[in-house]
Amino acid sequence: MTICVWCARTFEPPVTLQDLLRWRPLPVPALCLNCQERFTPITGAHCPACGRQQATTVRCHDCERWGAETLTNRALFQYDAGMKAYMQQYKFQGDYALRKALQTPLYQALAQQSYDVLVPIPVDQRTWLTRGFNQVTGWLHGQPFQQVLRVKADHKSQPQSAKTRAERLVTPQPFMLDAAAAKIIVNQRVLLLDDVYTTGRTLRQAASQIYLGGAKAVTSLTLAR
Amino acid sequence: MINLSEYFGRRLPATTGTDRLGTGKLAVKRVGQRYQCQRCQQWLANSDQLPNGAWYCRQCLQLGRVTSQTKLYTIPEPNRFSPSESPLTWTGKLSPDQQRAAEKIRQHVQQGQSQLLWAVTGAGKTEIVYPALAWAVARGWRVAWASPRVDVCLELAPRIQAAFAAVSQCVLYGEQPAPYRYSQLTVCTTHQLLRFEHAFDWIIVDEVDAFPLATSPLLQLAITRAEKPTGQHLYLTATPGEKLQRQIRQRTLVATYLPLRYHGYLLPQLRVKLAWRWREYLRKGRLPRPLIQQLLTYLQKGQRFLLFVPHVRDLPEIMAELGRQGIRGGVSVHAADPERTCKVQALRDQRLSFLVTTTILERGVTFPNIAVVILGGDDAVFSTAALVQIAGRAGRSAKFPGGEVTCYVQTQTRAVRRAQVMITRLNRQGKQRGGRRP
Ligand SMILES: [Zn+2]
Ligand SMILES: [Zn+2]
Ligand SMILES: [Zn+2]
Repeated sequence: MTICVWCARTFEPPVTLQDLLRWRPLPVPALCLNCQERFTPITGAHCPACGRQQATTVRCHDCERWGAETLTNRALFQYDAGMKAYMQQYKFQGDYALRKALQTPLYQALAQQSYDVLVPIPVDQRTWLTRGFNQVTGWLHGQPFQQVLRVKADHKSQPQSAKTRAERLVTPQPFMLDAAAAKIIVNQRVLLLDDVYTTGRTLRQAASQIYLGGAKAVTSLTLAR
Repeated sequence: MINLSEYFGRRLPATTGTDRLGTGKLAVKRVGQRYQCQRCQQWLANSDQLPNGAWYCRQCLQLGRVTSQTKLYTIPEPNRFSPSESPLTWTGKLSPDQQRAAEKIRQHVQQGQSQLLWAVTGAGKTEIVYPALAWAVARGWRVAWASPRVDVCLELAPRIQAAFAAVSQCVLYGEQPAPYRYSQLTVCTTHQLLRFEHAFDWIIVDEVDAFPLATSPLLQLAITRAEKPTGQHLYLTATPGEKLQRQIRQRTLVATYLPLRYHGYLLPQLRVKLAWRWREYLRKGRLPRPLIQQLLTYLQKGQRFLLFVPHVRDLPEIMAELGRQGIRGGVSVHAADPERTCKVQALRDQRLSFLVTTTILERGVTFPNIAVVILGGDDAVFSTAALVQIAGRAGRSAKFPGGEVTCYVQTQTRAVRRAQVMITRLNRQGKQRGGRRP
């Protein structure tokens, strides 16, 4: 018997043949089947730039508008009603325990990516004080990462959701590189990690800072698109 | 600018103006080796710590997160309301029976007693409380009308506001769109009471036996703490649980009975019918023959009906089978259904001929002329209270006081038998007060 971290109901974790054949001890799933099904994984064809689910593999309309500022992002889940409900409770209500819900899928997704350094998108000082955690690093479970990006002290934090698309697109560079960053990322393949891909602005701003620090390549992974 | 009235009789975190709010109390406190939430009194798990070092409570997260770095502030309830001589603007009339019950309730309130009103489904219990409420409001009391069910609150709020048109009212529930406003009347879910402390002179708890209040010590604590030490409460129910019934028998709780519906007709009794192996039928996507027959007859007569089934997961299969059997013109509805209100209204407006549903429609919904059918009344989800409530959907209007209630079972359970006994007993009392058979 396990208690689902999201709905608090008890459930019998299913055991697959694959699990039994693995030599490692069985990981305890954090979510019951019902709650797992609230997420919609992005599978098959998707936009090569932002990772959104679509019928074709050419750049989507939104990504075309970015022109030459390309990005290679992969996303795990669609940003639908279920994911919104999850983010609402985890990020905005601050239910840190819910980080466990997506640790396993993220673990598997990271294992398939090729990169040298993992860089999570940071939260600003005020968010750190009020929320008490960085929602992105919460999903990591033992994987090494480097916090080389910082939010500039003078950056006015305003929730992305409160801005219009136009406002989000003109936000000035919010990030700066940590003093020790150069040593870590120079000539490395960097993977950025963020929660939701909305317009792609944040990730593009982060990527340009990372390139500034001498990285060889920058790609990104988000939980949702 | 901080609005101090927000803190009258409440326990809230504050970000500004704390100098005018006194010292405040820590929201999450260390007690020995563990941490306890001071808002909901639950213990934290030893994994509920944030990377910034604070401890947070997951149990009452829906009310806004509190941590070991949060302080809760209170201003003692000042009862700052403008007096009104006769606040009751309701012009309806109570039946002699309702009048008698209303008078008793008012007397108990005046004597400062906590009490219970046991009124059958369709007795008009809301209106019975009005005279006592008018008295309380005129005295400048702060009153909460709380229910464990959101739909009950939503249905009540406009009625109470209309009945007390000049009295300030605030409605509180999980996703309420309007901001909090200090008001003399608060209509809210019992959960919301966790935000209050010694605020109310009187708390009316509607559907006191409904889930989750009946089984939640947390919500019971919320009621106790929201009530002033000098305050009192009134429980309203059509189906008191065994614990409340015991308290009534032992006279530790004063009770007023209203065994007769407002229109003076007796309650429809559950007719139990055998449906051999309904569970296996259901698994194969089939329904018992007698049930199909009965529903077809209803359709031919133009009789609208509610079909109650044990589980949400059975709904699609049942709808498909009904369709194959030619029973069309209805839809299914369940708790998380976003179109729930809309579907209920469609049945009321006769745009639908039936609804297939689970126990979520057991309370708070009224249709003027409806037949009620329960499939699998012997399933554990149908408690005695649920069955009596479901049966109580039938015969609500004075024009159609009859209404059939049929319950298909494979075995006679304790809950079914008790429901029948409760209805028989209430009807016996009803008859003594002149109740008629429909
Ligand atoms: Zn769950
Ligand atoms: Zn794209
Ligand atoms: Zn709590």
